[in-house]
Amino acid sequence: MKRIMNLILFELKKILNNKKAFLFLLVLNITPIITSLILLVVYISFRGFGFGDIQFAGVKKTIQYMFTGHFTLFSYIAPFFLALIVGDSFSTEFGKGYMKMLLVTPVKRWQVITAKTLSIITFLVIAVALGGIILQSDLLIAKAITQPSGFLPGSLQSKAMDSSIAMVTASSASQLLVITFIANLMLIGFFIMFSMFFESAILMSFCSLSAIMAVHVFYWSSDIIKALFDDIAKTLVANFEFLSQFCFTRHFTNLLSVDIIQDILDGKLNIMSDKIYNPLGQCLLWSLVFYVIATIIFSRKQILH
Amino acid sequence: MSNNNSAIKVTALSKSFGKNKILDNLNFTVPINAIAGFLGPNGAGKTTTLRMMLGLLPAPKDKIELLGYSLPRYRTNALEKIGAVVENPSFIDTMTAFENLRWFGSLYKPVEDRRIYEVIEMVGLKEATYQKFGTFSSGMKQRLGVAFGLLHKPELLILDEPTSGMDPAGRVQMRDILLDIHKNEKASIFLSSHLLDEVQKLCNYVVIINKGQMVTEGYVEDILASNEERYEIRVEDDVKERTKGVLEVLPNLVKSVNFSPRGFIVDIEKNSSALINEVLVKAGIMVQALIPLESSLEETFIKLTEKNANIISSKINNPN
Repeated sequence: MKRIMNLILFELKKILNNKKAFLFLLVLNITPIITSLILLVVYISFRGFGFGDIQFAGVKKTIQYMFTGHFTLFSYIAPFFLALIVGDSFSTEFGKGYMKMLLVTPVKRWQVITAKTLSIITFLVIAVALGGIILQSDLLIAKAITQPSGFLPGSLQSKAMDSSIAMVTASSASQLLVITFIANLMLIGFFIMFSMFFESAILMSFCSLSAIMAVHVFYWSSDIIKALFDDIAKTLVANFEFLSQFCFTRHFTNLLSVDIIQDILDGKLNIMSDKIYNPLGQCLLWSLVFYVIATIIFSRKQILH
Repeated sequence: MSNNNSAIKVTALSKSFGKNKILDNLNFTVPINAIAGFLGPNGAGKTTTLRMMLGLLPAPKDKIELLGYSLPRYRTNALEKIGAVVENPSFIDTMTAFENLRWFGSLYKPVEDRRIYEVIEMVGLKEATYQKFGTFSSGMKQRLGVAFGLLHKPELLILDEPTSGMDPAGRVQMRDILLDIHKNEKASIFLSSHLLDEVQKLCNYVVIINKGQMVTEGYVEDILASNEERYEIRVEDDVKERTKGVLEVLPNLVKSVNFSPRGFIVDIEKNSSALINEVLVKAGIMVQALIPLESSLEETFIKLTEKNANIISSKINNPN
């Protein structure tokens, strides 16, 4: 147990040593907060011109969109970033010979892959938490605008206190972060499985993301084929329908579509709703399947470099 | 786990990559407390064998025993007592030598900092203790690899090309380090190398393989010992032809005669040098010197591997 704990700490240290990863994460998150600050300055500068109502509605909508945009951007760029982190942890280590050094120590292969997976998940938690902190800063900016501190025209203060016009609640923001975490967990599993066959992180990222796109295109095309050939080729349609069940990417897009994010922000959906709960469960299941397959491949892998 | 006294025991080990057979029914045993050299030409299967021993390639059931632990079942038990130095060791570039040893060492039993400093000093890297691994030369990397192998005081040290990338001074130093380890830490050593003169200077036991098959194994002095001896006979230039004629009429004693700058190199029957000297003197030839030449592992290696290659090719050509 102590050995595997040491291995997890070792792997985490290696990931945290990757300064470029943190820089990228920071830039990804810092852009929206700077935008928020600029908006705030613009609002304060112009609020004295007597267009309070218009300004407030505009700023509220803008901040909400910015929040959705920030979240969508984060959710869709995160996979590229995670693919590189997973690639660095597995493919690069196969290529550079670090894996060879690990495997000549008295650790079992399942311990190595488990420790690496757990350390990547820990990194994901840190990344999501960092994203969360910065998203919370967006909320603080939104609150600063609506607080009776002099920023908001007096006529709008009563409206601001009304929950129906609350811009983004902390609860919906936290739920979105949990959804991001679980959706990306599934992708981590897929990337780990894929990284077993490559010795370059860049090549692995490119190929695994292409594979994800291919799976998703197949999923889309199955719908089109169903619509086109439903009457004339029932067997073909049935086969496509069967195979499209295995297109795991649909859960990712189902969870992180703009509509879903907007509904969560508006409080129309929450994590316990069927529309969210089911794909979340599927994501966890796929994560487990990918992890088991990756472990089987890794335990039989021949380390030649 | 068996109770035998061998450091390494390989029994009927075979391995193929696709249709390419790399190891074919390989058998050898390295005794405890030996410094054993693992020799073979390129492509003989040395690295494949070492990788199977260390678990980098899947080992078939019960074909390899390390310190009495059968692989793959007791692989981790065996590796706890083994230090492995792989070819071109790669540590984490952004960590210092000390940090690398501490982190990698933590995957064994807990290692004290004192021991880390000790092994770093043992391999001559004291000045580079807090230097980042990424800035190391290839020789320094190899030394750190050896330090890592020694960290937990192994009973058996397995090294794959330990002097690869080292300059001649570094090779001599590495040889001294390994001899010290063998003497002071009581570790058995098994190393693969292409450098036969180094193996001859360092090892007391050798295992020679070719094309995945066993050629020979045993203590170096036994392998080098044969029924023939090699001598240099020095004579004046003007009697060279006459000397050659005399030597060639002694087929029972003289096996081969080759010119050398100052006389001849001859392979003769064991313990017949005095008799040959007497024959030459009686024939009126003034022998200036009769110098015994030490058999080299290199010559024996080439002779044995060529012989083995001929046997294998004749088996392929005449399977019956």
